[in-house]
Amino acid sequence: MNGLEALDLSVLAPLLFVSGGSLLVLLGEVLLSHRATFLGKATSPSWIGTVLSFVSILFLALAFFSAIFPFGEGTTKVFHATSPMLVLDPLANFAIALLTLAGIFVCLMSVTYLAEMDIHHGEYYALLLLATAGMMVLVAATDLMTLFLGIELMSIPIYVMAGFDRKKLRSNESALKYLIVGGFASAILLYGMALLYGATGHTDFTEIRSALASGNPPFAAAGALALFGFALIVVGLAFKVSTVPFHQWTPDVYEGAPTPVAAYMSVCVKAAAFVALLRFLGVTLESFADRLHSLFWILALLTMTVGNVMALIQENVKRMLAYSSIAHAGYLLIALVIGTPEAYSAMLFYLVVYLFMNLGAFGVMAALASRGEEFDTLDQFAGLAKARPALALVMTLFMFALAGIPGTGGFIAKFTLFASAVNAGQVWLVIFAVLNSLVSVFYYLRLPVAMYMKTSARTPARVDLGSGESLVLIACAAAVLFLGFFPSGLDVFFLKSADVLAWTKFAITALVFGAA
Amino acid sequence: MNFFGSLFDEHLLTLITFLPLAVGLFLLLLHGIPVLAWRIYALISTILTFVLSVSLFCRFDAKASGYQFVEHLPWLPDWGINYFVGVDGISLLLIVLTTFMVPLVLLASWKSIKQAERAYIFCMLFLETGMLGAFVSLNLFQFYVFWEVMLIPMYLIIGIWGGPRRIYASVKFFLFTMFGSLLMLVALLVLCYLNYREFQALNLDLVALDPALFPASKPGALLQTAIPPLLEAGRAVPWWQTPTWLFAAFALAFAIKVPMVPLHTWLPDAHVEAPTPGSVILAAVLLKMGTYGFLRFAIPLFPSAAIEFAPLFMTLAVIGILYGALIAMVQTDVKKLVAYSSVAHLGFVMLGMFAFNPEGLQGSILQMVNHGISTGALFLLVGMIYERRHTRQIEDFGGIAKPMPIFAFLFAVATMASIGLPMLNGFVGEFLILLGTWKAAPAFAAPATFGVVLAAGYMLWMYRRVVFGPVTHAENRTLIDLDWRERLVVVVVLIPAFWIGIYPKPFLNPLLRPVSEVVMRIDAVKQAQAAGQSAAPLTQKIVAPASSASDGGDVRVDAVGNGESNLPSEPSTSLEAENEGIQ
Repeated sequence: MNGLEALDLSVLAPLLFVSGGSLLVLLGEVLLSHRATFLGKATSPSWIGTVLSFVSILFLALAFFSAIFPFGEGTTKVFHATSPMLVLDPLANFAIALLTLAGIFVCLMSVTYLAEMDIHHGEYYALLLLATAGMMVLVAATDLMTLFLGIELMSIPIYVMAGFDRKKLRSNESALKYLIVGGFASAILLYGMALLYGATGHTDFTEIRSALASGNPPFAAAGALALFGFALIVVGLAFKVSTVPFHQWTPDVYEGAPTPVAAYMSVCVKAAAFVALLRFLGVTLESFADRLHSLFWILALLTMTVGNVMALIQENVKRMLAYSSIAHAGYLLIALVIGTPEAYSAMLFYLVVYLFMNLGAFGVMAALASRGEEFDTLDQFAGLAKARPALALVMTLFMFALAGIPGTGGFIAKFTLFASAVNAGQVWLVIFAVLNSLVSVFYYLRLPVAMYMKTSARTPARVDLGSGESLVLIACAAAVLFLGFFPSGLDVFFLKSADVLAWTKFAITALVFGAA
Repeated sequence: MNFFGSLFDEHLLTLITFLPLAVGLFLLLLHGIPVLAWRIYALISTILTFVLSVSLFCRFDAKASGYQFVEHLPWLPDWGINYFVGVDGISLLLIVLTTFMVPLVLLASWKSIKQAERAYIFCMLFLETGMLGAFVSLNLFQFYVFWEVMLIPMYLIIGIWGGPRRIYASVKFFLFTMFGSLLMLVALLVLCYLNYREFQALNLDLVALDPALFPASKPGALLQTAIPPLLEAGRAVPWWQTPTWLFAAFALAFAIKVPMVPLHTWLPDAHVEAPTPGSVILAAVLLKMGTYGFLRFAIPLFPSAAIEFAPLFMTLAVIGILYGALIAMVQTDVKKLVAYSSVAHLGFVMLGMFAFNPEGLQGSILQMVNHGISTGALFLLVGMIYERRHTRQIEDFGGIAKPMPIFAFLFAVATMASIGLPMLNGFVGEFLILLGTWKAAPAFAAPATFGVVLAAGYMLWMYRRVVFGPVTHAENRTLIDLDWRERLVVVVVLIPAFWIGIYPKPFLNPLLRPVSEVVMRIDAVKQAQAAGQSAAPLTQKIVAPASSASDGGDVRVDAVGNGESNLPSEPSTSLEAENEGIQ
């Protein structure tokens, strides 16, 4: 007929859920905003927003479960048998579950925040779902074309979301900066892809790998061209994960973007881009491993050092967390330096923990924003322990987790990652990383210091906590503590399937051994 | 033994460790109850913890070797991380010291903590669990977790309830300790790696357990039996796998906590800014974490490196003794003076430890307890006059004996205990340490003895200026003497000072075995080095007792074996495994 029977459409299930949900939300916004009442209820922008956020959560949850169930089976499904384009292997399912979970959390923390900021429009959720769809394409891409498609589908909605608070100058600045830098990054990425295609004649990851490994390049300079292409693709993705020296946009964009959007960017964009890097490099890098190894070594060291040192001097908590997210990207890069299955699985575990601790930290800030005012300077946090003891307590927990204090998931994440580096003999990198952690302790401690040890005449304007926000904060705090004590060996208490460390190994096994 | 009796024995350490935190969490749930109820519940629970630890002390069999009251559960088995607790004589004394001090501190701060008192009580209970957890841990990872977690409540206690420069002091305290412990973490990861490379299995347990009784424990890949032979084998390895560097990483973490000169600068700040209860706990227990860490982990795991570093540490210890004493002499703030005297006292502890003979080690461990008691009492007393006068400057006092005779008397006793007057605790510890040092390295004993004289000098001089002479400040005439609560606290703290000073045997008895085991290990390494033997027989000597002991089916699991028995000649399981690894 038309070749459609060769396609496995079930690969698209999570993708269809979120993109369908996105369209439905967009439609709902248009239909509802023109009606005074709906089903006998008076409509208002914030009511519509709440309804649409529930719709989005529903679709994200559907996508979440459609990724979790095949993950348990451990199967690998490809979109097209001969030119896969997209695969739904355990790694992709794992990443999709992670991204949709984060998406649900961001939806939950956005409801009250957007209402407080008076920007509660349904488009927000449509954009969020669309960006999530882009990330899904990105993490499942096994072809340069789908990789680029995923990057763009992820980035464009986020440019809009960064500027969603359109009456605020800062938010506009944030969107513009992100758009320009993002466009620049996409161009570099595309250039790299073109070079790699030119050198190998393929866009599929495995085909590129076998073309490079075959040892008979189409022309003399192909090796150099491919290396250059690789470097440019790495640079393009490095913009997305914000590694030094491609990080300058991060603090400005996070500071200006609405808090839940900054949370979403810091967790999901980073996770998706890292998984894409992992898949791209894990599958194709073999022949360039030695030459790119030292590049990643330097990138990792620079990224964590610059991130941590710059975070020291920030007075704005969002900027501080932006630099801290750069530093965490530096730690994650260690896994790419090492390149062992063990390191990759440690990186995935790190991403899981990072999701909870970073969303939690941004969630506290979102929960304190009120009437168009962001709550993001260190001065505002002074004396918070007296005014809002519960929020101060969970914020302290998230800070300790980000700093990697034992008893929190942050420590186990660092422990597994650094252990994999030591096992690969990279002791110097680990020593630099722990010294960096020491620096990071200093600025993470600034928040507990402000909240518990300083006093302030001002009290935060908001006194209540939305139910969505409290749900997110409780879930994140519980997860951070839980992962700190039982990251593995949970079968003592729960089902075997709750063992996150084992999940990460499972997700990596298929990728590494499938490619080899 | 009946069912509950054995259940009690098996879980006694867990009960002691987690009782304070459990009560703290319970109180958090009942957040609304009045502060007085918090105080009473906290006091009762910490007293109960003390009673339990006394029962631990009484049930402890000083003649049996190895660790007792062992509990072993898998935690993260893939990583060789287990929940593994047990006590020997060293940790026993420190546990009793900890549980002894905490209720007294809570009683002493009955009125002095004015703000956020519930949070303060929770921090104290949390801190007690952290400290006890570190003392009972026999799994390196578990120890690390407690070691770090303990920082948080102490950091909050200094930072929230401290003096004017509290934020600076608390952050400095946190960062200094973190610096050392992060490098220790790297060394820990290297140990993991070595262990895994050789045995294809990870186990961060310190000692072997009988596999029949504890199925989760995997003998043959345990730190204390597997690591020293691996490291001492003298193979060509990268620098980061050598015992010297690994010992250095551990020692740095512990030396910061002790603190040894020149890493001591956080201590005066933390002590001066901390509220009285914080200073007392810091001096009495937290500093002992460092010395305990040396004894439990750094020295047994890397004996040859410990011998190599001993001259350096003894030099630093003597510098600490003299420097601490001289700096203490010129202090104008009583609390700072006591803080610097801690530097000197801990110098004695380190000196005795690195003498590596029974006298020195026993004195060193006993002096840890002594320092906790006498310096704890001094900080309590300083806190009591600070509450009355809101100053700690020596020049603001003088003639305190007239308005406050009972205070003056108790202060005198605490001062004497700190100086090391015979019949009081400090004398026994310092005497043993100096005896041991004299035997091992006379060159260090002489200046250290001079440090004792200096200690008498600065303490008595300070005492004279504060207590005797005419009353020079009008405010001091109307000072109210200690009330019953304060008298009770100080008198109870000072009872063991007399007890140890007059009859130290019950406290020295449990130390005999662990000390002889440490000495035996060190001597085996020294002999091997002196004889110029190859590494293989040396490792056998160190390893053999452990494997022979784990053959027995005794409930009190023998870990390190019987020091006096003949060393069996058959190679241990770990050596076999090691050989396989090499092949």
